[in-house]
Amino acid sequence: MAGVIRSDGVGVGSGGVVRTRPEVPEGVVRIRPEVVVLCRPDPRNRRCLRELGAGMEEEGVPFRVEDATEDGTELEVGDGADDGTDHGVGHGADDGAGHGTGGGAVELAFAAAQASHLDVGVGVDATGNVCVHHAKLPPDAPALSGTASDARVMGHNAARLVVGVPFKGTPAPLDEWKEGP
Amino acid sequence: MSLVVGVDIGNSTTEACAADVGADGEVTYLSAALGRTTGVKGTTANVPGVVEVVARALAAAGRDPADVQAVLVNEATPVISGLAMETITETVITESTMIGHNPDTPGGVGLGVGTTVAFAGLPDCAPGDAVICVADADVDFEDVAAGINAAIARGVRVTGAVVQADDATLIANRLREPVPVVDEVTLVHRVPLGMPAAVEVAEPGRTIRTLSNSYGIATVFGLDPEQTRMIAPVARALVGNRSAVVVRTPSGDVTGRRIPAGALTLIGERAKRSVEMDAGALEIMETWRRVRPLVDADGEPGTHVGGMLARVRGTMAELTAMPRDAVRIQDVLAVDTFVPQRVTGGLAGEFALENAVALAAMVRTSKGPMELLAARLREALGTDVLIGGVEADMALLGALTTPGTARPMAILDLGGGSTDAAVADAGVAEGAQVRSVHLAGAGDLVTSLIDSELGLDSTDLAEEIKKFPLAKVESFFHIRMEDGTVRFFDEALPAEAFARVVVLTDAGMRPIRTGHGVERIRQVRRSAKQRVFVTNALRALEQVAPGGNIRQLGFVVVLGGAALDFEIPDMIAEAVSEFGIVSGTGNVRGCEGPRNAVATGLVAGHASARAAHAEVRCG
Repeated sequence: MAGVIRSDGVGVGSGGVVRTRPEVPEGVVRIRPEVVVLCRPDPRNRRCLRELGAGMEEEGVPFRVEDATEDGTELEVGDGADDGTDHGVGHGADDGAGHGTGGGAVELAFAAAQASHLDVGVGVDATGNVCVHHAKLPPDAPALSGTASDARVMGHNAARLVVGVPFKGTPAPLDEWKEGP
Repeated sequence: MSLVVGVDIGNSTTEACAADVGADGEVTYLSAALGRTTGVKGTTANVPGVVEVVARALAAAGRDPADVQAVLVNEATPVISGLAMETITETVITESTMIGHNPDTPGGVGLGVGTTVAFAGLPDCAPGDAVICVADADVDFEDVAAGINAAIARGVRVTGAVVQADDATLIANRLREPVPVVDEVTLVHRVPLGMPAAVEVAEPGRTIRTLSNSYGIATVFGLDPEQTRMIAPVARALVGNRSAVVVRTPSGDVTGRRIPAGALTLIGERAKRSVEMDAGALEIMETWRRVRPLVDADGEPGTHVGGMLARVRGTMAELTAMPRDAVRIQDVLAVDTFVPQRVTGGLAGEFALENAVALAAMVRTSKGPMELLAARLREALGTDVLIGGVEADMALLGALTTPGTARPMAILDLGGGSTDAAVADAGVAEGAQVRSVHLAGAGDLVTSLIDSELGLDSTDLAEEIKKFPLAKVESFFHIRMEDGTVRFFDEALPAEAFARVVVLTDAGMRPIRTGHGVERIRQVRRSAKQRVFVTNALRALEQVAPGGNIRQLGFVVVLGGAALDFEIPDMIAEAVSEFGIVSGTGNVRGCEGPRNAVATGLVAGHASARAAHAEVRCG
């Protein structure tokens, strides 16, 4: 699992870019420019996260994945060294059914966008709905939203939102899906 | 005082001008109106359009239709133009040999040469073999990477990969020794296996160096001079790409061939000359210059140009109900262009820019059934309908109401179908000559050039690109216009417009779904306008100017729909500035802009005729 939802391979890829993986000393706050993915810790989201990550990695945009608590905010991150390695899977399985109000993909995505230095966040709710948000957009008007099956494309598009490249594919109209079920 | 309405029936718009005319020829202009022309100019189908425009002009003036003494219409000679475009080069690849598309994110960097092998066949390769791995979209990127890593560990030299899905970077990131990977190859199953191939990916921001060079390909595959000649079109087609794949198949043959486009015969009043279409627009126009004035044009039967002119003739005959052989082509404008064409035999939907020649032809038909039209208008309007003077004379009279103009003056009417020019010598009122010409090629040709050169396949979108400026959506809240200025929005822009080039139409933004940047679209738009309008403006002025010398003209007034364009008047002003004459967009009656010239001229002509008549009576 490790290495899948990690964006550290990025920058090696399409050449030229220097491998940016400085060893950050314990306790130093990282301000790496990354897309933040906030995800309901649910084992069913494993595949979805992998696809999201693959989409962003292919576009060459760094990202990190964080767990979301029930009220839709991110967990205390403060995890310095091991951020974005092993979250999102394997624990919190009991959480799936009863996430609280405000814990939908849109809210998660917006919170993630606020936390991202690139102003772009992705939210994944317990049922695998995916939403891409931008920090400067109104909270209830995400850039894009879709389901788990769109995860790869959503990953591409979250990255393209950062890079400034037209979106891939034709995303579902926004009014078709607003909130997690 | 009597109330009259001048009506100009144009190819696409009908314009009216209402005015009070005193017995001494004094004119008080009241209002103007504009509407679409119904039917072909100069036919009875125009009646509904005329009736509507007259009613609108009178309503705007606040006058009762019953008070109208006369409606003045111009003598409308239908001038119809036709367009055709043919490619004169073609790139054909038999036995699929190249993948030259430009995926957004190829993986790895460098050049890899080896034999193509399906991903499933990788374990069967012997250590030491140089291979290029070909994987379809069913195989996950991790499996592809793992497979290649395993093969390399066994000593197989995997030098590159060609994959179907969009995951080249993902694969390259997972390889222990990164190799160039080209992705998004839609027809990956048609890549021939067991053949020597080369994969090249350039660093971000650079373009490939080896496979876009004929000798590079010759070096990679060890080709002899004859084979190099055959492969040259491949190299040409790959220029400017960030990634490419070339597979060498034994019977593979790529040819760039010139299509026998045929010869165009231009028949002038005194001479007759033929010119090969594939000589290009410059040569064709040079031939035209030698034979003009043109009486007719013909294309070699059974060739492209023959077909082109036959189509134009057919359309004209249909529109004017004339027999086909009575249609005389009286002007042609040839324009060099290029058309993105799908490469036959490509594997990823590659396009090559093929040279083409666009030809606009203009036919001046016999005089339309004006008397019949006037009679029908008389019935429909219940007033007297007078057929006024020749269109060009009337346009000149109207244009002269532009403040700051004087004779000798020329007008340039840039319309949709034709470019017209007329010149009035000093003292035209005393019966001096008015010379006029109608030339093929105008707005419609510009639209079709934009459409084909950008590969839009949408006339509507091309029309909008022609008419409105461009911008790039840079974030959800701001756009950058083509001149570099930035505009902000309160509401977030739609996701489908994000990062795209948009046309800023009257009705809002319209995203252009092509990979072209702002600069490229702008350049195509401006060069299309240059090639058609500037060429034709000079060609037209040259023909009407006294002694063919544009310097003899005092003033040039630009009229017609294109005069309202946001850049065409500037282009023309720039082009004629070297002749030291005054040129600018007309402002009819000091308030109508480049519109309403003929309608205004009809009223002015009517008024001066009345005054002359009154004088005769008095004297």
